[in-house]
Amino acid sequence: MLQQDSNDDTEDVSLFDAEEETTNRQKKPKIRHPVASFFHLFFRVSALVVYLLCELLSSSFIACMVTIILLLSCDFWAVKNVTGRLMVGLRWWNHIDEDGKSHWVFESRKASSQENKNISEAEARIFWLGLIACPVLWVIFAFSALFSFRVKWLAVVIMGVVLQGANLYGYIRCKVGSRKNLTSMATSYLGKQFLKQVKHWR
Amino acid sequence: MRSRIREFDNSTLNESVRNTIMRDLKAVGKKFMHVLYPRRSNTLLRDWDLWGPLILCVTLALMLQKGSVDNEKDGGPQFAEVFVIVWFGAVTITLNSKLLGGNISFFQSLCVLGYCILPLTVAMLICRLVLLAEAGPVNFMVRLFVVIVMFAWSVVASTAFLADSQPPNRKVLAVYPVFLFYFIISWMILTFTPE
Repeated sequence: MLQQDSNDDTEDVSLFDAEEETTNRQKKPKIRHPVASFFHLFFRVSALVVYLLCELLSSSFIACMVTIILLLSCDFWAVKNVTGRLMVGLRWWNHIDEDGKSHWVFESRKASSQENKNISEAEARIFWLGLIACPVLWVIFAFSALFSFRVKWLAVVIMGVVLQGANLYGYIRCKVGSRKNLTSMATSYLGKQFLKQVKHWR
Repeated sequence: MRSRIREFDNSTLNESVRNTIMRDLKAVGKKFMHVLYPRRSNTLLRDWDLWGPLILCVTLALMLQKGSVDNEKDGGPQFAEVFVIVWFGAVTITLNSKLLGGNISFFQSLCVLGYCILPLTVAMLICRLVLLAEAGPVNFMVRLFVVIVMFAWSVVASTAFLADSQPPNRKVLAVYPVFLFYFIISWMILTFTPE
């Protein structure tokens, strides 16, 4: 027993040491902004949940509609202005100069060594997952509302698609940046996938 | 549409959430003030946002409901109707003004049109209060007067911003859809009767 304990002790100590070493080397904590991550997902998911459960939650169509609209707007603002900046260091906005011409600006934070604000993997994953999955779901709901003739919900669903799709588009453009044209990147990616498939079949 | 990094805006990439919220709230408040006291101001147009139009549209749609809100057969279609009329109307006017050669951007125009619904929302509020009193011709005259005044205010406020962006011989062509848009909203307000 004692021997086992001492073995356990040594094992524990060595494991602890190994962990400390890796954390010292990488210095990337799991989630730096838990509140931002929470709100990033909270507004989107609750808008979807309210839409799906509207009949159960409240008999009033208007209350549900107003709630979903408010949630979608808060989500749009939060993702565009706060969570994108904090979680992945990207930002996009519209700028109108003195001539009255409008420019869309897509910004990404350059990794500067003195700031040491690295983007954590977990946050980036949460961000992109939330950003991509929800508009896809809203598009599916749009088709289902259209084909099942629940037309009164169509206004809300279209608003969901537009707002969340806009954020998705904005952030993808930020990510792609000025390096490459978006379409050329998409075609090269699809081309690679296609070639991989062909290799598999052979 | 190249991506540009503006030096003086680097601070907003790292500002706190509270600052972002306060900045946006102040911008919305400033625009409401500009609608109440319309002046030709280019700087207002440049920082467009659609929060004001959204709030006003939702408020107006809520107030235009017949009967109680918690009813089973409540005014669902009416709510969506108001929404669709306001946004679709604003988009149509914007397209019209762009096709006529105006140099205002899509969202700026939506912003102006949306914010200038404020007087009509106030008119709706007043009408609802007036309708609490006894119905009759006096009631109707009061509401008519209020709606006409607010309608004129909306049209004046929006043309103060929009007319400048058009070439001089096209001003009337660009302004009359705005007139029509606010007329339809005023009509909805005037003919509203709670059951």
